[in-house]
Amino acid sequence: MKDHLNENEFNINEYIRLDQMPHFLCPGCGHGIALRALLWAVHQLGIDKDKLAIVSGIGCSGRLSAYVDANTYHTTHGRPLAYATGLALARPDLNVIVISGDGDCLAIGGNHLIHACRRNLNMTCMMLNNEIYGMTGGQVSPTTSGDRYTTTTPAGNTEPVFDACALATAAGASFVGREVTMQIIALRDMFKKALVHNGFSFVEVISDCTEIYGRKNDLGASPEMMMSQKSTMRPFAYRNTVDVPFRPNAMKTGVLTEVDRPEYGNAYREMTAGLRGEKGGT
Amino acid sequence: MSERRNLQGNQACALGAIKAGCRFFAGYPITPSSEVAEAMARELPKVGGTFIQMEDEIASMGAVVGASMGGVKSMTATSGPGFSLKQENLGYACGAEVPCVIVNVMRGGPSTGMPTRPSQGDIMQARWGTHGDHAIIVLAPASVAEAYSETIRAVNMSERLRVPVVVLLDEVIGHLVETVDLDDVPEGAEVWRKWAEGPAEHFEPYAVTEDMVPPMPYPGDGYRTHTTGLTHSPSGFPTQNPALAEAAVMRTTDKLVHHRKEIESYRTQDVEDADFLIVAVGISARAARQSVRDLRSQGIKAGLFRPVTLWPFPEEALRETVKTSGAKTVIVPEMNQGQLVLEVERLLAGQVAIERINRIDGEAITPDDISAKAREVAS
Amino acid sequence: MDSLNIRFSGSGGQGLILAARILASALVSEGRNVAQSQSYEPVSRGGLSRSDLVVSDGEADYPLSQSLDYLLILHEAAATESSGLLDEKSVILVDADQVKSQPAAPLNVVSLPFVETARRLGNKRVANIVALGALAQAGSLCDEAALEKSLQAMTPAKFSTLNMEAFQAGRQLMAG
Repeated sequence: MKDHLNENEFNINEYIRLDQMPHFLCPGCGHGIALRALLWAVHQLGIDKDKLAIVSGIGCSGRLSAYVDANTYHTTHGRPLAYATGLALARPDLNVIVISGDGDCLAIGGNHLIHACRRNLNMTCMMLNNEIYGMTGGQVSPTTSGDRYTTTTPAGNTEPVFDACALATAAGASFVGREVTMQIIALRDMFKKALVHNGFSFVEVISDCTEIYGRKNDLGASPEMMMSQKSTMRPFAYRNTVDVPFRPNAMKTGVLTEVDRPEYGNAYREMTAGLRGEKGGT
Repeated sequence: MSERRNLQGNQACALGAIKAGCRFFAGYPITPSSEVAEAMARELPKVGGTFIQMEDEIASMGAVVGASMGGVKSMTATSGPGFSLKQENLGYACGAEVPCVIVNVMRGGPSTGMPTRPSQGDIMQARWGTHGDHAIIVLAPASVAEAYSETIRAVNMSERLRVPVVVLLDEVIGHLVETVDLDDVPEGAEVWRKWAEGPAEHFEPYAVTEDMVPPMPYPGDGYRTHTTGLTHSPSGFPTQNPALAEAAVMRTTDKLVHHRKEIESYRTQDVEDADFLIVAVGISARAARQSVRDLRSQGIKAGLFRPVTLWPFPEEALRETVKTSGAKTVIVPEMNQGQLVLEVERLLAGQVAIERINRIDGEAITPDDISAKAREVAS
Repeated sequence: MDSLNIRFSGSGGQGLILAARILASALVSEGRNVAQSQSYEPVSRGGLSRSDLVVSDGEADYPLSQSLDYLLILHEAAATESSGLLDEKSVILVDADQVKSQPAAPLNVVSLPFVETARRLGNKRVANIVALGALAQAGSLCDEAALEKSLQAMTPAKFSTLNMEAFQAGRQLMAG
């Protein structure tokens, strides 16, 4: 197990822009762990940084792209999947990774998410779920848990949450997984699977917003939040061995969906190949 | 071999774009622009390009900017309400200086309005629709032949200057079928954005260059730069340093001032001795063209000044035309409540009488509408 | 610059725009310039539909009709909408059965059973081609062979015979 954390095997400094440090994430934020797991997977897969494109939206998650030593695009709120769709179709030679958040991906960008899942264009989407709009000061998001206080739910949240992975699966994503930041090795390995999967891969990372969400709801500091996530999440692989009642709040973690479906870019190019070279008309 | 054919304005935009090397189109169905998307869906695969119909207008603009950042010439097409939805990502393209072309076929508005009826109600939306201080080029073809040639020019200018270019048609020109010979359009050299060259280390993607257009890194060439909608320093990374922030916005707007000569384009008809100068674009300019002939045959000295580049407005040319002609009255016919006239007033207020002709009834302005106004003023 | 103005009007789905395109294509093959515009209500079937041709030498100054030399009316929906563009020199072809509000003298009106003729040929959808034949006969607008060539080129091959029959039937209707 030791080698998993061996700095000789993976030196994150080779994948981040050190001149952009210090980063702007709050102490205790889970986003950095998720980014580390992602870049570790990139490293282990030997993906060429020159061919790596990171597309992010707006919010705390959106800022991560600036820290990665790759072709990075910090786009508009909710739209990274739309930008990435254009980029991946125009440049199938690139490895396209989208970094999004729960507000970015499920609220303002929800339409783009379901259609990206349906289309199955080859890219990996990492959605960092911290249950809150952190950048704007702590407003309720589509994944804010019940009764939680936010600046726009001063009496507690009454809105039901989105199960992002169920949504992605239902919309047709061919690879769907969820993991908590505490399980960095499992998360890294999930990213490796997602990145090599030919099609649209959706990975939800349960992150934590200690400074705003945690403080407002008295959830403790980062270690407490992470431990609590770990204990309330139920690995999918245990579904037959763990009695559900022992884990009443459990959301499934692990690889939840993995199917073979035609990748959109290839399908489009094959479908239209017969037209190539035909004389122009209209 | 020269080939005369009947071609629709919207389809001419599609063929012009492909001629200029556009190889990516993302769109969303909307009347009266859908024929642009339909033509691109048929034609792009023939030249190895990619068409995609996205889930909405916002996504199609995002995909176009994404494809262009990937190094492929890209275009979308829409109409008023869809154009409004595209403004967010159009603002990104303005800020991040990503080349792209947006065809906007104007229909009656606001809102769903009269989707199949013509309008020129987006003259100001095309200039000021997106947020913040920004530079943008807007071209206004007045014929099918021009829809073709101006879309070529749109792609080329967008590339050369790293600026979004809007091709602004009204529904009449978009749906009009005219006899054209596409071979009549001079075979210009293909224009590409300036690509980044040289060492990747210390490369600054938004460095200030002599022509104010920074070279663009091609993803995969090893530059590994950052592109953001946040106000950025020459390094490409966000800054809130007041001097750098001001310089960043100033360069994108000054860029167009610097290249004004090659951007501006206009046509005149019988202006040398005109007492009445008509300023119009699109189908209104076609009405003016006939009106000028009709009025001249009746002894009224009318002339036409037609901006082909609508924004930035060819202001020196208009001032000069008024001066040399000695025109006392300028008539501005447009299918809205008065948008183009605001620019004309800005340039000429106090120097000439300015008369408006406005139609918002879903019908095109006719030569008689203009001639009647000129006769009324003349009498 | 003198132009020739022709309007095809009726109801959406009657193939008026196609008929106009066929004539436009034939005119272009003879060296003329054509500006074709259409107006339709935002439904594909039913509702007023029309297509105009402005025929000129060189690009027309104004590409929309300001008066009509020839007007075809195939449906009641279009019966009156063009009245402001007509004068005594205009030639108006009206479907005898489909249009209840027939234009009257002093206008030059020819009322003929286009739709009924098409139905008799086996498919009322070729009423547009019957009318095109009548219009060609009425106006000597362009060379007959050129028009037939455009008709063949722009309609599906499997309807070729039917369309040619419809076209000839229209000519004969007009020739009386």
